Amino acid sequence: MKKLLKKLFYHDGNGWWNLPKNMSGKPNPPYEGPIGGPWLIKMINLMTYGGKSHAGPRFYIIVGIFLAIITALEVWAFELESELAILYIPILLILALIKFVAVVAFYMHLRFDNRFFSYVFASGMIVGTVVFSLLLFISEAAYMTR
Amino acid sequence: MSETAVINNHQDEIENTSTGLSNKKLMMWLFLASDVMFFGAFISTYLIYRGKSLVGPYPSEVLDIPITTVSTFILLMSSLAMVLALHYLKENEKNKATLWILGVVLLGTIFMGFQFYEFNHFAHLGLTPRTNIFGTTFFILTGLHGGHVTIGILWMAFLAYGSHKGTLRSDNAIDLEIAGLYWHFVDIVWIIIFTVIYLISANDMPPAGSELLIH
Amino acid sequence: MTTKPATKSLVFPRFFPRPNSKTGIWSWIATVDHKKIGTLYGITSFFWFIVAGLEALLIRIQLSQANNDFLSPDMYNSLFTMHGTTMIFLVVMPLSAAFFNWLIPLQIGARDVAFPRLNALSYWIFLFGSILINFSWITGEAPNGGWFGYAPNSGVTFNPGKGMTYWVVGLNVLGISSIAAGLNFVTTIINMRAPGMSMFKMPIFTWMTLVTSILIILALPILAVAGIQLQTDRIYGTHFFNSLGGGDPVMWQHIFWLFGHPEVYILILPAMGIVSEVLPTFARKPIFGYSFVVFAGAVIGFMGWFVWSHHMFTVGLGPAANSAFSISTMLIAVPTGIKIFNWLGTLWGGSIRFNTAMLFSLGFIAMFTIGGLSGVMHASPPTDAQQQDTYFVVAHFHYVLFGGALLGIFSGIYFWWPKFTGYFLNEKIGKLNFIFMLIGFNIQFGPMHWLGMDGMPRRIYTYAENMGWEGSNLAATIGGFILGVGVLLFIYNVIYSMIHKEVAGADPWDGRTLEWSTSSPPPEHDFDEIPQVKFRDDFWFKKYPETIKEYYEHGEIEEDTEDKLSEKSNHEDEIHLPDMSYYPFILGVGIAILGAGFLSNIYIIAISVPIMIWGLLGWSMEPVNDPHPDGH
Repeated sequence: MKKLLKKLFYHDGNGWWNLPKNMSGKPNPPYEGPIGGPWLIKMINLMTYGGKSHAGPRFYIIVGIFLAIITALEVWAFELESELAILYIPILLILALIKFVAVVAFYMHLRFDNRFFSYVFASGMIVGTVVFSLLLFISEAAYMTR
Repeated sequence: MSETAVINNHQDEIENTSTGLSNKKLMMWLFLASDVMFFGAFISTYLIYRGKSLVGPYPSEVLDIPITTVSTFILLMSSLAMVLALHYLKENEKNKATLWILGVVLLGTIFMGFQFYEFNHFAHLGLTPRTNIFGTTFFILTGLHGGHVTIGILWMAFLAYGSHKGTLRSDNAIDLEIAGLYWHFVDIVWIIIFTVIYLISANDMPPAGSELLIH
Repeated sequence: MTTKPATKSLVFPRFFPRPNSKTGIWSWIATVDHKKIGTLYGITSFFWFIVAGLEALLIRIQLSQANNDFLSPDMYNSLFTMHGTTMIFLVVMPLSAAFFNWLIPLQIGARDVAFPRLNALSYWIFLFGSILINFSWITGEAPNGGWFGYAPNSGVTFNPGKGMTYWVVGLNVLGISSIAAGLNFVTTIINMRAPGMSMFKMPIFTWMTLVTSILIILALPILAVAGIQLQTDRIYGTHFFNSLGGGDPVMWQHIFWLFGHPEVYILILPAMGIVSEVLPTFARKPIFGYSFVVFAGAVIGFMGWFVWSHHMFTVGLGPAANSAFSISTMLIAVPTGIKIFNWLGTLWGGSIRFNTAMLFSLGFIAMFTIGGLSGVMHASPPTDAQQQDTYFVVAHFHYVLFGGALLGIFSGIYFWWPKFTGYFLNEKIGKLNFIFMLIGFNIQFGPMHWLGMDGMPRRIYTYAENMGWEGSNLAATIGGFILGVGVLLFIYNVIYSMIHKEVAGADPWDGRTLEWSTSSPPPEHDFDEIPQVKFRDDFWFKKYPETIKEYYEHGEIEEDTEDKLSEKSNHEDEIHLPDMSYYPFILGVGIAILGAGFLSNIYIIAISVPIMIWGLLGWSMEPVNDPHPDGH
């Protein structure tokens, strides 16, 4: 506990919240997520050259095809709008989110690049998402009760 | 390309920063965070005003999903071209890099052509920014996105010239990289716009009782 | 990297040779030096401070007695609009920017900001934007819709003419400047720190600048959105805020205050940073609870996003929204209170010197506490319903923005003036200045509290005789003039200091942070040798190594020595400074003409485009440093 407090508040400033001194050469560790197991890890490492460097054209083209497929799915969902009914908007939002993450993570290299850039962009995204969701909520509530 | 090669390419620029991150790249990411708020505010404006038009044409009468799907696909592919251009530039393959940057310019221009056609077509159908609140929010949001794309096209054209002349090379590939970040960001904004404006509201009908509101 | 071949670059034809003069007008127009840009910011915004102050005095004369006809109602509207707009966007923000420019590179031990030319661009856009917005006085159509420009009153239906168009275009131009500066300072603070200076060894002022700049980056785009929407409504007839076309005027309030509340913290956080530097220096103690001050600042910066609707309690958003925002508004008083207690804790047990700078800082704490408490009062919706749009609110935000931000900035001016110029400001005149300002300020704004409680509304140009408001209003007017004398005394002090030239050494106040380690005024390259930082308040511990033990447990110092950076920075025998450039000025002119084009006609926009292209192309093809003729 004392160590924790020290890291947070101690006067010498060597605790957490420090930016690493030199992190340019350190890529993110390879994927070890819970989903997919060893097979997915192997695939991703193969495609992203071990997650070490920027990936190659093959990987980018695969991502491109993936994006195109998702877009096709979106349009398909549009055709089925009346059948999907209440699920329509959530499905579209999820598909858009997948595309968004794919472009940001792979094309904008956040997956391979220093984590600090992810923090920068994520902070903008989080503040934006929360604030504007709140705005939508308030406006809609005020509109309904008017 | 090995990991060390990447580092060496940036060595000049990053050796003097405290975090080891490139100044330009950091600033571009900060700018993108800033632009998130810009488009966020416009998209929320659109959503808040969705379905509140008092007179037509309504979204279901003008929006044309097949055409927009094609233009969306084109913008996505321009992102692919962009990332390939950066890859080849870092690999010192000048001609391929130049070609792919030109590909970005071309695809971006086609996208703008679609947008121009769309705006024109809507105007023929009687929808202008002054017609109703849908027109107002739609034109200003997509118009500003188009403005971002236009700036990106000009930037890319400038970089393509530089790459052709051999002044943009693997050792200052950071210049292309930050332009690429900008380009991809414009692309993801379009991903959201395509979902929110086109797919979600394409079947929006006049609000119930709107004829009564006018009187 | 000796083996690396020289990088070729594209060449853009130069119409002028690259400037390199050290004196004269060109040395200012083409400067990329953060100190010169800081001086320019300071002078320009002080000029607007005088202008906005005179506007305030005119308002006070008009209100000094009932049924006065000193000003016409229209003129009165323009004056209070421009007073607010000028004070916020052309005075407090750029005065803070002047401090950022001057101090950030000095405090973090850098030779310049990360993007010197971008820095110059921010200044030029700010200058031209400020001229653009005030040009409306010359055309006789000054903005008159309030500094918040509420729709539909700011729309073209109820406010025909060019006035609010000037306002909105001017703000959009100024927004570009602020965002550019914000990007620059965040990058500078994160990337340009001296070897060994980790984030938690930075001075508090640097931290507050970081938080402020992040807020600027994220909040100003929303102002741009509001501005673009109002601009298209006014110029092209769109319907964003026009209820006849399906729009909603409440949207303007939402979007404006989404920007407007973080803006409040953009205004106050730099002053908090200044005070957190002044107090430890004159109490001769390190700041009490450094991490708490830093975290409180960051938390204010974050929570500032979730309180905007407290400006809109009387709009009728419903009980749920009102209670939520009421709670978040009360909560944001907590980190502010933490800071105030930390400042008091810093003073506790210190050996205090009552210099002018210290007095201003103490004034800041007292006045800001009063303003903060009256702010908590309107955090409660029922109370706010009584106070909305009365003089109570005017009293509140003047206590926060004048008693807070400006007293803090004056404290900073007195504190760092020796560093900026090399000469002291006179202490006696300074104390007189402080007394006049503090007393005048309280006589002016104190009575507004009970005027507001008594129901006197804001933004009215006159009031009836039988309301019982005359005495307090007259007192406020007299207070305003006393305050004006205080400002005149400051100007006299500056002139006095320029004539008498009382030389200050490099470290006149026995300072704690890095900026005092270099000469006063600093050389063009700031530091002869880039300092190596081991501790927080590093300069103090270099001067008094025996005090290290008081603040650091043994053993922690060993860890610190690992921070030693590579030998490279020690062997840096050459100093690279960016060369001067006239392209920021040209691009700034282009953007100003573009703004003027939105106000007049499309041909002027057409003129601006080639100028901007010239500026951009020239800028991007110009290397930061021209190759030296000796092939170096």
